Amino acid sequence: MVEENLLVSPFGWGAVVLVITSLVLSYRVLFGPTLADRIVGINTVTTKTVVILAIFAFIAKEYFFLDLAVVLLMVNAVGGLILAKYMEGAK
Amino acid sequence: MIEYLLLLLGESIMIFGTLGILRFPDVYTRLHAATKCDTGGAMSILIALAIASEAPLLIKLKFLVLAFLIALINPMVSHAIARGAYKYGIKPEVVVDMYAWDNP
Repeated sequence: MVEENLLVSPFGWGAVVLVITSLVLSYRVLFGPTLADRIVGINTVTTKTVVILAIFAFIAKEYFFLDLAVVLLMVNAVGGLILAKYMEGAK
Repeated sequence: MIEYLLLLLGESIMIFGTLGILRFPDVYTRLHAATKCDTGGAMSILIALAIASEAPLLIKLKFLVLAFLIALINPMVSHAIARGAYKYGIKPEVVVDMYAWDNP
């Protein structure tokens, strides 16, 4: 039986805290002075999203979300490396 | 009990990392806050989930694989971003710039 409510355990409240900090971090993504600040913000928000997916897989007992988290982490790695390489070239 | 302590540690590390990214004056100091705090917080929360989960052993192992991948990937991407930002022309606001001594 899947739990309907997200806030049944302390891990659900942890997910809520992560969502709030991600929303606060979007200030750095939107108004960052340089390109590198935006890339740092995007990287951090994506890592927080991976943790939120793992917490949701734990609470709802739907364990295929863990595979989604692994794929999102690898997309984060490749995207960060491509953006860093682009920053090296673009003077 | 130990999993809730790990969860509290991870959440506080995440909150202070966010505060550091918002308040630090430079790209490199922001990267310092992002790397250390985000990697440590995510790994703590994932280890807490692996302890608290009542799933079979293979799925608990999947949580630990996710923590290991975060420990592997996140510092690599941060290193690449710092190198790219230096090559892009962003100078750090510090007194001593040792990277410029070796690479004029």
